[in-house]
Amino acid sequence: MQFSKKWLNEFVDKDLNEIKLSDMLTQGGLEVEEIEDLSLISDLVVVGEIIEIQKHPNADRLNVCQVNVGQKESLQIVCGAPNARVGIKVACARVGAKLDKFEIKKAKLRGVDSSGMLCSAKEINISNESEGILELNKNSKVGETIKNCLSLDDQIYHLSITPNRPDCLSMRGIAKEIAAMSNFNYIKNKKKEINEINTLDIKINVKNNISCPLYCLRKIQKVDNKKEVPGWLKERLERGGIEPINPVVDIVNYMMLEHGQPMHAFDFDKINGDIQVRNANKGEKLLLLNNQEITFFGDELVIADDNNILALAGIMGGLESSITADTTNLLLESAFFSPLSLAGVARKHSLNTESSHRFERGVDFQQTINTLNETTSNIIDLCGGDPSKLIEETNKFPERNKITLRTEKVRQILGLHIDNNEINKTLTALKFNFEECEGGFNVTPPSYRFDINIEEDLVEEVIRIYGFDKIEALPPLTNTVMLGSDSSNRSIYDIKITMSSLGYNEIVSYSFIEEGVEKEFHENNKLIKLDNPIASQMNVMRSKLWGSHVEALLYNINRGQTQIRLFEIASTYMKSNSGYAEKQVLSGVLYGSSQPEQWGIKAKKIDFYDVKGDLETLSEGELKFKKKDAPGSLHPGKSACILKNDKPVGWVGQLHPKWKQKFGIQEDVFLFEIDLEPLRKKVINEFNIPSKLLPIRKDISVVVDKNISVDDMVQAVKKANINHLKEITAFDVYEGENIEKDKKSIAFLILMQDTYKTLEEEQVNNIVMNALKVLQQQFKANLR
Amino acid sequence: MEELKKLIQKAKDDFSKVSELSDLDHVKSKYLGKQGPLTDAMRGLSSLPSEEKPIVGSLINDIKKSIEKALGDRKSEIQAQLMNDQLKNENIDVTLDGKKQNKGTLHPISITINKIESIFNSIGFSSTDGPEIEDDYHNFTALNIPESHPARAMHDTFYLNKEYVLRTHTSSVQIRYMENNPPPLRIISPGRVYRVDSDATHSPMFHQIEGLWIDKKISFANLKWVTQSFLQKFFENDNLKIRFRPSFFPFTEPSAEIDMEWNGGWLEIGGCGMVHPNVLSQAGVDHDLFQGFAFGLGVERLAMLKYGINDLRPFFNHDIRFLNQFKV
Repeated sequence: MQFSKKWLNEFVDKDLNEIKLSDMLTQGGLEVEEIEDLSLISDLVVVGEIIEIQKHPNADRLNVCQVNVGQKESLQIVCGAPNARVGIKVACARVGAKLDKFEIKKAKLRGVDSSGMLCSAKEINISNESEGILELNKNSKVGETIKNCLSLDDQIYHLSITPNRPDCLSMRGIAKEIAAMSNFNYIKNKKKEINEINTLDIKINVKNNISCPLYCLRKIQKVDNKKEVPGWLKERLERGGIEPINPVVDIVNYMMLEHGQPMHAFDFDKINGDIQVRNANKGEKLLLLNNQEITFFGDELVIADDNNILALAGIMGGLESSITADTTNLLLESAFFSPLSLAGVARKHSLNTESSHRFERGVDFQQTINTLNETTSNIIDLCGGDPSKLIEETNKFPERNKITLRTEKVRQILGLHIDNNEINKTLTALKFNFEECEGGFNVTPPSYRFDINIEEDLVEEVIRIYGFDKIEALPPLTNTVMLGSDSSNRSIYDIKITMSSLGYNEIVSYSFIEEGVEKEFHENNKLIKLDNPIASQMNVMRSKLWGSHVEALLYNINRGQTQIRLFEIASTYMKSNSGYAEKQVLSGVLYGSSQPEQWGIKAKKIDFYDVKGDLETLSEGELKFKKKDAPGSLHPGKSACILKNDKPVGWVGQLHPKWKQKFGIQEDVFLFEIDLEPLRKKVINEFNIPSKLLPIRKDISVVVDKNISVDDMVQAVKKANINHLKEITAFDVYEGENIEKDKKSIAFLILMQDTYKTLEEEQVNNIVMNALKVLQQQFKANLR
Repeated sequence: MEELKKLIQKAKDDFSKVSELSDLDHVKSKYLGKQGPLTDAMRGLSSLPSEEKPIVGSLINDIKKSIEKALGDRKSEIQAQLMNDQLKNENIDVTLDGKKQNKGTLHPISITINKIESIFNSIGFSSTDGPEIEDDYHNFTALNIPESHPARAMHDTFYLNKEYVLRTHTSSVQIRYMENNPPPLRIISPGRVYRVDSDATHSPMFHQIEGLWIDKKISFANLKWVTQSFLQKFFENDNLKIRFRPSFFPFTEPSAEIDMEWNGGWLEIGGCGMVHPNVLSQAGVDHDLFQGFAFGLGVERLAMLKYGINDLRPFFNHDIRFLNQFKV
């Protein structure tokens, strides 16, 4: 809702400049979003008259104008506007005038002196019209400031009106609010007498009287819709955000801004027979005023005559029956359509009009007839015409039931000791109908308040006017609670901290991704598509984070980064039997150097075992890694399925070379993704007291086939339960010289220990022999 | 005998000429070794008269001790000298860079959410979460926003179909939690939310933190205390001023926006209000017995203020140069 402050002032009895209007409105719940101060325009912008025009000698598109600004000598101004011509009055910015972006200076334009500028409407901030220069009214006084000429000593207020306050979608509604919040008084409008000359011989037939409790019509004959609309009316409309069109439409819109009652004017001569208010039939069509043809779904409320649908009720009229400059006989409609009957209808047809916006939220049904009368009177004043008698059909209005407001309830909800007297004052200020009763008040909400239905709604009204600032901030008096802790699950924050200490930067990426990436890179064809994505490359919900992470990687590679490790914990989304399922994962991407480039450490590129090591550190060794059929995004030979307690929980590996090529990345990229829930599960350890004795270490080297898994060998030895063997680990793997072509050499270290005594040499040898036996038998290992 | 006594001085002289520990051993055997003069003298004892034997014996012993001491002293001297020489040579450039391990960072949003959670946890709010793909019922209807209600237009909603949306606020978690847990309730719920909006101050995906406290006497005065105290602790400024401004949310009544004083003006921080009786009864809570408040705060807004960043986009474009600035 936007409006002229000067106009608003006409509805209250004191000068609005006496109060901090913006603060008051905002504090009352009518948030001021913006104030455009028109009065800031320079006094050096004045009314000028073009008295002579010559072609610019050196530029085809420029003219050299002599402009009279009410002084002895006229000003010579070079101007490029196509509508510049002798005799018109224009806004002339004189030398020294400061406009929005620049100051006007004396200048030479292509060799011709120019002492000022002729302005477009946009250049002096009165509208967005930048085509040509602004032509002022013929009667404007030459030399007068534009500020005076166009009454720019005004401000345009832009309010954000919440959906519960349709009553404030009008000047009078806002004025009433100001009166409730200040010592200003609201000025009621005077009823105008209308000399009803004719009868109106058509009938109203409201077929859906729940949707349309009140419908009124009046005919006005012999109207001249070509009259000049007064400047003040145009100004107020424009400052209210509405384009002037023709006198009748302008007055109808003006009345809507003032009273909040949307109305419609039909061309009476284009109507056949009686008027019906009915539901549309499925498939019926209507060409709207904005040239959009709509096909009805079948439950919209429409206005129709005997033959055709004339209008989408309360939303927009049809083009066929609309009035034009040539219209002489009008049929004026003013009605109350119930909010429920219009809810969502405009949106279904991709419409949002000033009218639908108001009706959907609720229009004051007690002003329907008054506003029609005032509009009639204004039209006759400007365009002449003979009004008919008003005809109407009235049905049941929305009920305004008495609501009991208990003082105790007000205090209980607000935690505030407010007394009856104060509550009484706020209800009085709001001009609500109420009476005191045992323990509180019985309140009947006014017809223009659709948002007050229960006691809590009244509590809000009371505190809104009384002031939230009067509520003291109080700590709750309540039972204390102590939060427990969960030792069976690691906190997500702890996992994030560990990842960051391993060198990863946490990122937050969008949950949506491009369809192609989801299908091809994530290999998911059960797409979860958005109906209305913000961009086509963000149109499906992701089932993996890798697509987003490669994008993040590329962003950083393109900015010269050579060591990149990123991680994220986020939900992934999939379809399920009952709708959708979400699963949180820890996912990451690695690229470039394995360690920061520095002196004394040989540069090394990241490899599979760097990533694996990070994941082992993160999980404290609880993850296992197995070769399996890898997803298509990973290198089949350099990737592994991640297991926890023998269950697959994720994947790690090198980006498949074909994708690496496709993304245009030069170096190897590694990716991992682990389901968060199993990762968080903690195994509760049993704890041992370490032996006082030194463990004994023996190293053995064996040669096996290249494709044998080292972890399988380690696990086999452990499984053999060799007495006193505490640990066996591979500490070197070697292929190449001195080793057969398809073999590899592995060096194991074996730690042995007895809890109570030092092991004898013979025992040590036995343990090593036993371990070796396992390797020989199960893996055909040869001692080197 | 006099000859023997002179040995002490001679040994000292010889020792002082030696500068290597290994040479010292060599010289040592010259005096104290099996072929040395003292061993000879000891052997000669047997030929002396018995009354002289103890006197000469003890004299030889004294001489031996003196030589051994001289040897020990010289050994210490040489060792000290060696240590000094070693230290003179061992001198490094301490200004050269230390050997670095990889070190990453947490995202400012994570840090902010953690901070918020810790503050609320400290007065007994427990953390919970809910789905991001939400059904229409939990995102709207149960929150007193029936179908076609104009308030739905306040949310630029991402739709998957007629029934499912990407949640437009974390308020849906209120409903899910109340459905499964009887009052009293004291929860917060941080998470991702979605609106069809994108510019320097709006992202189609952003984070909110929802708070809910339901008990028998939880009032607006308590809401004021909780939110005000929270903001003061979060910004570590006990003089921070906030104000409440009437507003409209279908799921609270009365409803208010929370504004915080910032650089001489007021900044909107979040929405709040007393939970609407319709919402309570919809979720199975007896609203004659229980009442309470709910609030929703914008995490990005809090992070931007805390870190003095005025553009939302760097949070989501993954630039390591930006991320590296946020130490845990």
